[in-house]
Amino acid sequence: MDVKVDRTLDCKGLSCPMPILKMAKEVKSMNSGEVLELLGTDPGSKTDIPGWCEKTGNEFLGLEEEADGVSKYYIKKA
Amino acid sequence: MSDQNKGAWRQLWSTFFGKTWPMWVGGILLGAFNVFLFLIKSPWGGSGTYISWGQNLFRLIGILGMDHTTVLTRNLYGVLGTMTVFGAFLGAMLSKEFAIRVPPAGEMLKGFLGGCFMAIGCTVGKGCTIGGYLSGLPALSAGAIPLAIGFGIGSWLALHYLLWEMEKLPKMSSGKSVTWLAAKGKGGAWQPIVGVIIAAFLLIGGSLFFKGDRVFTWFAIMGLILGLISQRSRFCVTRSFREPFMTGDSEAPVAVLAALLVGLLGFTIIKYMGIGAMHPLGERGVALTWVNPNFWLNGLVGGTIFGIGMVIAGGCAVGTLWRMGEGQIKLWFAGLGFALLAPISSKWIAPAFLNILPEWMHMPVFLPDYFKYWGAVLILLVIMVLWYVFVKWNERTGKFSAL
Repeated sequence: MDVKVDRTLDCKGLSCPMPILKMAKEVKSMNSGEVLELLGTDPGSKTDIPGWCEKTGNEFLGLEEEADGVSKYYIKKA
Repeated sequence: MSDQNKGAWRQLWSTFFGKTWPMWVGGILLGAFNVFLFLIKSPWGGSGTYISWGQNLFRLIGILGMDHTTVLTRNLYGVLGTMTVFGAFLGAMLSKEFAIRVPPAGEMLKGFLGGCFMAIGCTVGKGCTIGGYLSGLPALSAGAIPLAIGFGIGSWLALHYLLWEMEKLPKMSSGKSVTWLAAKGKGGAWQPIVGVIIAAFLLIGGSLFFKGDRVFTWFAIMGLILGLISQRSRFCVTRSFREPFMTGDSEAPVAVLAALLVGLLGFTIIKYMGIGAMHPLGERGVALTWVNPNFWLNGLVGGTIFGIGMVIAGGCAVGTLWRMGEGQIKLWFAGLGFALLAPISSKWIAPAFLNILPEWMHMPVFLPDYFKYWGAVLILLVIMVLWYVFVKWNERTGKFSAL
């Protein structure tokens, strides 16, 4: 994805609820407008992460699926 | 075949395996299939599978005096739960979501310990989130209420442990992880193909194996279906108790309420009408099905212990089964801890605790005996409506949510 990434969070191998908990903690410590790249392998994250962004007012920029089963999620802090 | 027809088939396939089903769809379907299970023999339960796995393992090793236990393939819930793992595996393969996901070591430890907590919780509380609650409440068993309160307390405690752990022990959830066999984009077509082959093998092999035994054949088929529905809708009872305290999201609580509502209607009809009363125990036996001795203190204590375990592991008894099928290794460790400890807890730990409790603290209570059928259903509906109102209000205000 063509965005400037400010932070990267590795959630590979983690299952629910760990990716959401770690993401929430990370986003809390970021500045407004910064972009987080989250690497995850849990199929549940595909609905969880956009859902959380919508609920909390942060912007979900999209996801990219890599060849090795890893998905990259991009979240912009409000 | 014309292009339009091809498009129609592709659309049908995509509806089932293209994207995740809304969780409430899973809830309604699982509620209905739970009623079908009751019509076949007896309702859905999760913990019986782990007890059977563990007992069979100890029987094979020849320890702990479990040589007289029923063989896994002759235990209804052993068969049901094992097939649930396969059903979820099929669901994941058909939708290209299967992969062996090995988490950091700390997560595997948490899975194992969570499984151990669930093993103690379900044997003390005489039921898990499925048998005691998702089936127990529709069965008009009063014990479902203290159990559910316990699941809530346990979820709250474990969620706050997880928040503490991320601050103080971040190493538990970080470190080396590996993913194998993931379906790679277009090259991932092998997963649905292998999935279809395995499905055919399971159906043919299973029907030959259980040939002539109608109840076992149906339980095997139902296990597959329950696993597939659970995986495709990511139906999660753990989430329904945890999420109000975490993100406040109401999707999972509403989905579980949908399953409870369908189940409540179906179970009440079966019990009230005495359907299946050719059963050796007669009409009363049908009415008392799944009314377990867990009202109230052992239900509350067992539910709390179970609730802690399911949130740390990331899945309840059935949530663990379907995540095992989709290749989450953390949940394999949860299943291992659950299976190893459940037979031990059922034989020694739970009886030791129950023996010190006075009788009136761990009784089976069938609500219609006290309030008639209509009163019992009304009480449960009021509780469900109150929970719905709370969950929706909390989703809006975030008063009880940590995130």
